[in-house]
Amino acid sequence: MINSFSKLKISSVFLTLLISAPAIIIFLYLFSGSSDNWQHLKDTLLFEYIFNTLYIMFGVAILTGLIGFTTAYLTSLYTFTFSRFFHYALILPFAIPTYIMAFIYGGMFDITGSVTTFILDLFDTSLNEVYFFDIMSIEGAIIIMSLVLYPYVYLICKTYLSFESASIIDAAKTFNLSSWQILKKVILPVSRPAIVAGVTLAVMEAIADFGVMDYFGVSTFVTGIFRAWFGMGSVEDAAKLASILMTFVFIIIVLERLQRRNKVYKSSGKDFKPIDKIKLSGGKNVAAVIVCFIPFFLGFLLPFIQLCYWFLLSYEEIIDEDFMTLLYQTLTLAISSAFIITGLALLFVYNVRLNGDKTSSSLNQIVKMGYSIPGAVVGVGILSFFAVLDKYVFDIFSETFIISGTIIAVIFGYCVRFLAISINNFESAFSRIPTSYDDAAKILNIGDKKTFFKIYVPLLKNASFSAFIVIFIEVIKELPLTMILRPFNYDTLAVRALELTQQAQIVESSVPSMFIIIIGIISVILLARNMNKV
Amino acid sequence: MLKKLALTAVVLGSSLLASSEVNVYSHRHYDTDKQLFKMFEDKTGIKVNVVKAKASALIKRMESEGAKSPADVLITVDAGRLYQAKQKDLLQSIKSNYLTTNIPEKLRDTDNKWFALTKRSRVAVYRIGSDVENQLKTYEDLADPKFKGQIMVRSSNNIYNQSLMAAMIAHHGEEKALDWAKGVVANMAKAPKGNDRYQVKAVANGIGSIAIANTYYIGKMVDNKDASQRESVKKVKIFFPEFKNGGTHINVSGAGVAKYSPNKENAIKFIEFMASKEAQELFAKGNYEYPVLAGVKSSDLVSSWGQFKDDTISINTLGENNAAAIKVFDKAGWK
Repeated sequence: MINSFSKLKISSVFLTLLISAPAIIIFLYLFSGSSDNWQHLKDTLLFEYIFNTLYIMFGVAILTGLIGFTTAYLTSLYTFTFSRFFHYALILPFAIPTYIMAFIYGGMFDITGSVTTFILDLFDTSLNEVYFFDIMSIEGAIIIMSLVLYPYVYLICKTYLSFESASIIDAAKTFNLSSWQILKKVILPVSRPAIVAGVTLAVMEAIADFGVMDYFGVSTFVTGIFRAWFGMGSVEDAAKLASILMTFVFIIIVLERLQRRNKVYKSSGKDFKPIDKIKLSGGKNVAAVIVCFIPFFLGFLLPFIQLCYWFLLSYEEIIDEDFMTLLYQTLTLAISSAFIITGLALLFVYNVRLNGDKTSSSLNQIVKMGYSIPGAVVGVGILSFFAVLDKYVFDIFSETFIISGTIIAVIFGYCVRFLAISINNFESAFSRIPTSYDDAAKILNIGDKKTFFKIYVPLLKNASFSAFIVIFIEVIKELPLTMILRPFNYDTLAVRALELTQQAQIVESSVPSMFIIIIGIISVILLARNMNKV
Repeated sequence: MLKKLALTAVVLGSSLLASSEVNVYSHRHYDTDKQLFKMFEDKTGIKVNVVKAKASALIKRMESEGAKSPADVLITVDAGRLYQAKQKDLLQSIKSNYLTTNIPEKLRDTDNKWFALTKRSRVAVYRIGSDVENQLKTYEDLADPKFKGQIMVRSSNNIYNQSLMAAMIAHHGEEKALDWAKGVVANMAKAPKGNDRYQVKAVANGIGSIAIANTYYIGKMVDNKDASQRESVKKVKIFFPEFKNGGTHINVSGAGVAKYSPNKENAIKFIEFMASKEAQELFAKGNYEYPVLAGVKSSDLVSSWGQFKDDTISINTLGENNAAAIKVFDKAGWK
């Protein structure tokens, strides 16, 4: 007889296969024979792709880690002027899609940007006479990506610090350590898994980015994939590059796993005690405000002001009936995808908790890989996968019905891409639930199903909510997958924003962008309020 | 939820069966096109369903969908992709007297599998007051060391650059094209980045003196809400270079009928409409493109830039040479 134990496991295996099918198909292209294009790539660009991708990984890891942890540390352990405001405000950059950020920063700070030319005019000098930092460079890309992505680290560290640090800090205080010593000797080491988890997500997103890198002229694996595929028409070479990229990500995931294994801080299960926040004053107060203000200003306020200005110039022209349909479609798509993905993630993580074996946790690792594959590549994998399904499975039912180009295909694409985020979210939430609960349930002989619904679901309510919101925002911002897989006459806000920028209507593109950001802001506020409840 | 989704999918799937429709896979994303589709719907009562994405993604989608593909018409912004679609056997030959009589032979496929709908040319844009006017005559000149540190051009990932290189290869062969590319790289004012408008803005602001850009972007910059684009474009002028043994490089947007088109008749009607006088006029006025239909005038702004002679090579060669063009770029170090 199959008990719910193995039922869960069997469905996890099945779902993993389903979700990894597009990636497997991409991998299969590896064996499709090598072309002379590949030799050419090796001779010319491969080294540059590897170097730049590593440079971006390194840069984004350092910057997001630094900004995310410092701000999380300050706002969780101290009160200072505006600290409650920063609690919310520091998550806001998350609401701005990276490609929109790149356009805005390009528009203001590149060599022809409004800010640059204003400064040059002011000093009556020209670019040839002075050196200006060119934002449209690999370093600029790292800065832009980090400004948008540091909230991953901030969110995870903050949840961790608010939940875990009180007892540790109290213990440390009994040894008469100074705040600095506590930070260095206690908080930093115990926060390492949280920092690494956040940084991993940020880095994965950064190396899967196309929009920013293409606009800034930075060659990475992803731009290479597009070049091989769109330019040379060689899906095989694109897939080979994607496979190398996936290997990179696999290494990141394994490293993250390894370092976490050495440092497992499971909750002791004692009652949760909120931190007694220390009040800062004088110079320290000012310093804390400045440290929190800079990422908020650069990551949100400045680009937002520019967008507001553009929005006012153009909203009358853009907002019409079609636009409202677009808004409705985007919202319903995001809500239904977020529901499905959150549910699936819960299933995957619960399977690991319950079965606790290597197979189950490696299933999760496989599922997580999808996040690192650029959306467009996932799109191609899905097209190929559904082509097979349509040809051999659905043909039995109907001669005309196809799954490609339907909403199902789009949502499936989001599952492949975004399950990693919600799984990560649940993993850290699960690790905070003491194992004694499971043991108690076992001793009392309560079934797994009952344990799940009576114990886990209530305990995971907040984590589920965060997972839902984060996926919701991701779907609203998502671009390449939606472009490739969407049905006829189906647009989203992100797609519309991109279309307008491609038509040189950067000003007009601020309207859909603004809606994306406003929806993002509302979600982020909900997220932050939810975090308070943790 | 899943049930509901499946239902939606079935409804969507079956609605594609209706005969008074035409399903368009388009790489073009201009508001003008939206207007044109509306005009076609009003005129014929045939509903236009559109999916917009990058051409290669659309081609891949048609490939994956195979015989069940709902696509009737494929539209791309360059000839290279239409060539690819034809190579992959995704398009069918059609018989249309209107199209074969009205679209010049050079601007359509040899087997009538696709037809050009609009033209744009890739030109040099120089800063007014610089001495470029007297020094620049041909595309080949762009590699001349006298322009060291002067040229602004976007990355070789871009299809417009790839087509320009494909044309260069058609004129001079790969070896000479590589020498040319190396020369241009040595003359660049900045490493390639940004789009065509960025190059024009850079030149207007004193970085380099020649930008390589497509004509219709200049129109878009003149008519723009962003003041910095309007100001920049006032400081520059368009020059139409020629190949030494040809004319000015042009590329086309074009359309073909999908091989498994479920609404073939509508598809043909649709393409004929896009090549009709009224549609061509809107292309010309709304999007600053050059019409392909004889007798249709360009917009006043476009006409003010002056006349040019089309390159003599067939548009078909741009697609054939595309992969070779990319390799030449890579070897020359053109990012």
